Amino acid sequence: MLEVKNLHAEVDGKEILRGIDLTVRAGEVHAIMGPNGSGKSTLASVLAGNERFEVTGGSATFEGRDLLAMPIEDRARAGLFLGFQYPVEIPGVTMANFMKYAVNEKRRYEGLEPMAAGDFLRMMREKAALVEMDSKMTSRAVNEGFSGGEKKKNEIFQMAMLEPRLAILDETDSGLDIDALRIVATGVTKLKRPDNATIVITHYQRLLDYIVPDFVHVLYKGRIIHTAGPELALKLEEQGYDWLINQYQ
Amino acid sequence: MGDSIEKRLTDLYFGNEDIICEGFPGAVNRQRAAALEQFSVAGIPSRRNERYRYNDMREVFGGEYESYFTPVPGTAGVCCGLPVEGPVLPLVNGFYAGADPLAERPDGVIFGSLRAAAGRYPELVGRWLNTAADNAGEALTALNTAFMQDGVFIYVPRGVQCAEPFVIPCCYGSEREARLCFARSLMVFEADSSAKLVLDYRTLTGDRFLADSVREIFVGRGARVELTEAVRFNEASTQVLGSYVRQEADSHFQNLTVQLGGGLSRINYTASLDGPGAESHVYGLYLCGGADRTDIYTGINHNVPDCTSYELFKGVVAGEASGSFNGRIFVAPDAQRTRAFQENHNLQLSDSSHVYTKPQLEIYADDVKCSHGATVGQLDAEAVYYMRQRGIGEADARKLQMFGFVNDVIAKSSFDELARHLGELAVGKIESL
Ligand SMILES: Nc1ncnc2c1ncn2[C@@H]1O[C@H](COP(=O)(O)OP(=O)(O)OP(=O)(O)O)[C@@H](O)[C@H]1O
Ligand SMILES: [Mg+2]
Repeated sequence: MLEVKNLHAEVDGKEILRGIDLTVRAGEVHAIMGPNGSGKSTLASVLAGNERFEVTGGSATFEGRDLLAMPIEDRARAGLFLGFQYPVEIPGVTMANFMKYAVNEKRRYEGLEPMAAGDFLRMMREKAALVEMDSKMTSRAVNEGFSGGEKKKNEIFQMAMLEPRLAILDETDSGLDIDALRIVATGVTKLKRPDNATIVITHYQRLLDYIVPDFVHVLYKGRIIHTAGPELALKLEEQGYDWLINQYQ
Repeated sequence: MGDSIEKRLTDLYFGNEDIICEGFPGAVNRQRAAALEQFSVAGIPSRRNERYRYNDMREVFGGEYESYFTPVPGTAGVCCGLPVEGPVLPLVNGFYAGADPLAERPDGVIFGSLRAAAGRYPELVGRWLNTAADNAGEALTALNTAFMQDGVFIYVPRGVQCAEPFVIPCCYGSEREARLCFARSLMVFEADSSAKLVLDYRTLTGDRFLADSVREIFVGRGARVELTEAVRFNEASTQVLGSYVRQEADSHFQNLTVQLGGGLSRINYTASLDGPGAESHVYGLYLCGGADRTDIYTGINHNVPDCTSYELFKGVVAGEASGSFNGRIFVAPDAQRTRAFQENHNLQLSDSSHVYTKPQLEIYADDVKCSHGATVGQLDAEAVYYMRQRGIGEADARKLQMFGFVNDVIAKSSFDELARHLGELAVGKIESL
């Protein structure tokens, strides 16, 4: 589904990604861990197409297409979803209106008619229930005045609405209380299907108790320095990154 | 050197005095000469006038315009371009163009042409006309007072609740000729009455218009009035609108202006809160692109204790356009427990556009709750990125964000259908920016 090869990217002339290789197949869950500032969010942003970052080398294909050549919105419409580490507030734009645009753009991309108003409302209610989000939230402006936890739930709500092929969740677990973590994590699990895939970026093993990954990658200074099974997350939780970094250097 | 602009206008008045005065009671006509005198002393404001520093009115009034002192023939039946149902009171080039000059309903409500009302009810008109307008302080209002011939008249007696809004299309049309027009409207809402007004100021042809309009609105004790207006003039034209509102105790007045463009649109809005418990809500939206200029002055006068005023103005300014907001709040020495709130927020979309915002607080009482805030910002690139990541195209993302910015102003309207339509007009205008 996603094939990243020797990806290099920089921001303001500073190289941040220094040769990333990553292969994600349908049905898989990948966890990306790594110390602060190692480039996890940068990798997610570059895959999403954030124009602040300049790709200086390598390639990325998504379902056989050259991902890096696609505009941000086409990547999204083709089924790439990024759960933001810091979701953005959009004053005056209601969640409902925002989602109506997003859902219908995706449908248009797929050659489908816009969704009927009633069906759309029903879907919003259903998906809000999935993350135990009060459906009144959908009449509020996007993320405006949402608590940290509500913002993260809202990311998963949007993911549920858009049913992506590949979801990249950037620290969706941070800032959540224990119940919210369970809700978000089980929400993500419910959205899992054999034909989609998930990349979770996280600092904590706890999330991976719910969303069991097939692979755990460690990102350090812009490179994946180690890949292993779910047991790696446990070991990192106990021992930190030093042993890996020492090994790498 | 030719004649000064003031002299030309004064000569124009005296050359046509008879026809201008026709139909008005002597008492009203006697005020014209005084107003003309006030006008010539003050003169057309230049940029040296602190309240006009952003746009030179002398440039505009210095242009060549034709003046006709009779209604344009064949204009009856002009309709409003806004989706509202209610009695229609059309004006064309400042003259009343309704089928009947004056309607008198069994509930005592009178509406129609100001000139017709002045003829039939000289005392009623004389009691109110020219008692709110600031002829001494505002030269362009004084000029209107001298030249006024017609406009809308509405009288709602005590306790009458008007179910349907008064729909007032204020149209300007010509045949390849620049026009100078003076509309004058008078609206009186007696104690405990309620009414809604919808005004649509627009040019119907591409000709150059200079509309110097004045309206006086009286909101009696406990009365509730809501006014919603759209302004859409062509890019060659200028509108100067002097809006004077006087509110008595416990009255509630809301004014929502949606400014959709025009060569130069100057609004002088004055609210006088003259009775305790009066509440004023003044909201505005200006969307300026190309060479549009919008210049808004508001003066909210808390003359007595225990009044409340809210102001929210938002602007989106692009291209070479300019948007100015000058909001003055005056609190009289004994106007204790005043609550006055003002906000002005702007999105400046281009480097070559200009945004000016100037709050002006003159507070002479000590027990006052007063706040103001002004911002000038750009579109949030992060929000555009966020929306694009959800599959919304870049142009749509920008529009959605701009619409989000202006939406809370339009939402102040209590007319759902009209608000939706104004929202669409705003989106259309935003798309063209
Ligand atoms: N716009 C920018 N300008 C300059 N440096 C940047 C910019 N964005 C990111 N960086 C730098 O790139 C590096 C990687 O940042 P990134 O956000 O990808 O780290 P991360 O692994 O997600 O960290 P965290 O775990 O703290 O979220 C950091 O050193 C950061 O300071
Ligand atoms: Mg990060």
